[in-house]
Amino acid sequence: MIFLTYISDVAEGLKIMFENVINQPHGSLGLVFLIGVMFGGIIQYTRVDKFEKIAGFAMLKDTIVPKMLFLTVGLASIALYFFMDLGIAHAHIKPLNYQGLIIGGILFGIGMAILGKCPGTGPISIAEGRIDVLVAAIGGLIGGLVFTLLYDDFFKPLMGESYGKTTIFDFFQDKELTVLIFGLALVLIAIAIPKLELCDKEEDCPNL
Amino acid sequence: MTNRLTWWMGGILMAFLLLLTFSIYGADRPIGASTYVPYLAGIIFNLDPDKYSYLQEVKEHGSWEGVMLLGALFGGFVTSVFITKTFRLSLIPSGWKQYKNNSVTSRLLWSFFAGFLLIIGARLAGGCTSGHFMSGMSQLAMSAMVFGGVVMVTLVITGRKFYNIKG
Repeated sequence: MIFLTYISDVAEGLKIMFENVINQPHGSLGLVFLIGVMFGGIIQYTRVDKFEKIAGFAMLKDTIVPKMLFLTVGLASIALYFFMDLGIAHAHIKPLNYQGLIIGGILFGIGMAILGKCPGTGPISIAEGRIDVLVAAIGGLIGGLVFTLLYDDFFKPLMGESYGKTTIFDFFQDKELTVLIFGLALVLIAIAIPKLELCDKEEDCPNL
Repeated sequence: MTNRLTWWMGGILMAFLLLLTFSIYGADRPIGASTYVPYLAGIIFNLDPDKYSYLQEVKEHGSWEGVMLLGALFGGFVTSVFITKTFRLSLIPSGWKQYKNNSVTSRLLWSFFAGFLLIIGARLAGGCTSGHFMSGMSQLAMSAMVFGGVVMVTLVITGRKFYNIKG
């Protein structure tokens, strides 16, 4: 009986999740799901969710992840600037709270090197059958639980004060030139990073 | 030979997906992939959303990402089975066997611990590789630069030490 009550509570929670998305002005339920399908598809198809790609980068034996990330950001930054200029996209800047960013970044970097996944690529690895990552997800859910329970008393103070939602644009006059230099520099960095690959013996190493 | 996309093809496609998500014709918001974790934890551990300020805070982003995550699981599964044909049940990555050890217990315990750290870290920083690195840096956000810099340095230091890489 307790189990059935629990299942119905979880089902109710998921129903509320779908209703929230339906009521938000951020795309239909189908579109949000489709964005996820494409996200999962691109990451799986490039194989950048692999341990050998992410932990391999941590060992500096594989550079596919930084090459792909820098290229994505370089291209997207230029296009996004013009999208915002045309009014067809809006800024969503996260606050600059140094304490949270630095402490959080350190914990995140350690976790990412050991697990060889991040929160976006982890679920895709679970979907392709990686049981160790499923165990990591349980650790992650407990992390989410602890964060929620101790938020007001511990984690929120630890995040420190925000120095505003600043961007690099705040330091330069010519915004178009700034974004063009930034974007092109990242594209060039993506190309310039030497291509290294850590072979996965169970999947063999293609000569790409 | 695994069938897969090149890094530059993946980078271009990911940039298009990011732009679609940002544009008013798409979702008019960034891509994020860590807020869903406390949101789903709230559901799984049966917490009353009215009693916890954090669950109130993540309600909107968490539910959006929760649905996106379901799509990512589906997209990842279908791609791994039909396109890359890389679906297989496994407990230890081959790179872990090569550079760490052959122990299932060791891999699972470290995975659990690393998963915990990853989420505490992402939530303290207010984002992860998707929210900060991809979405934030594409807007030239200072928060993303700080996070990206700290993560890159910590990642490489941990990688060299943890897997005992010399030279």
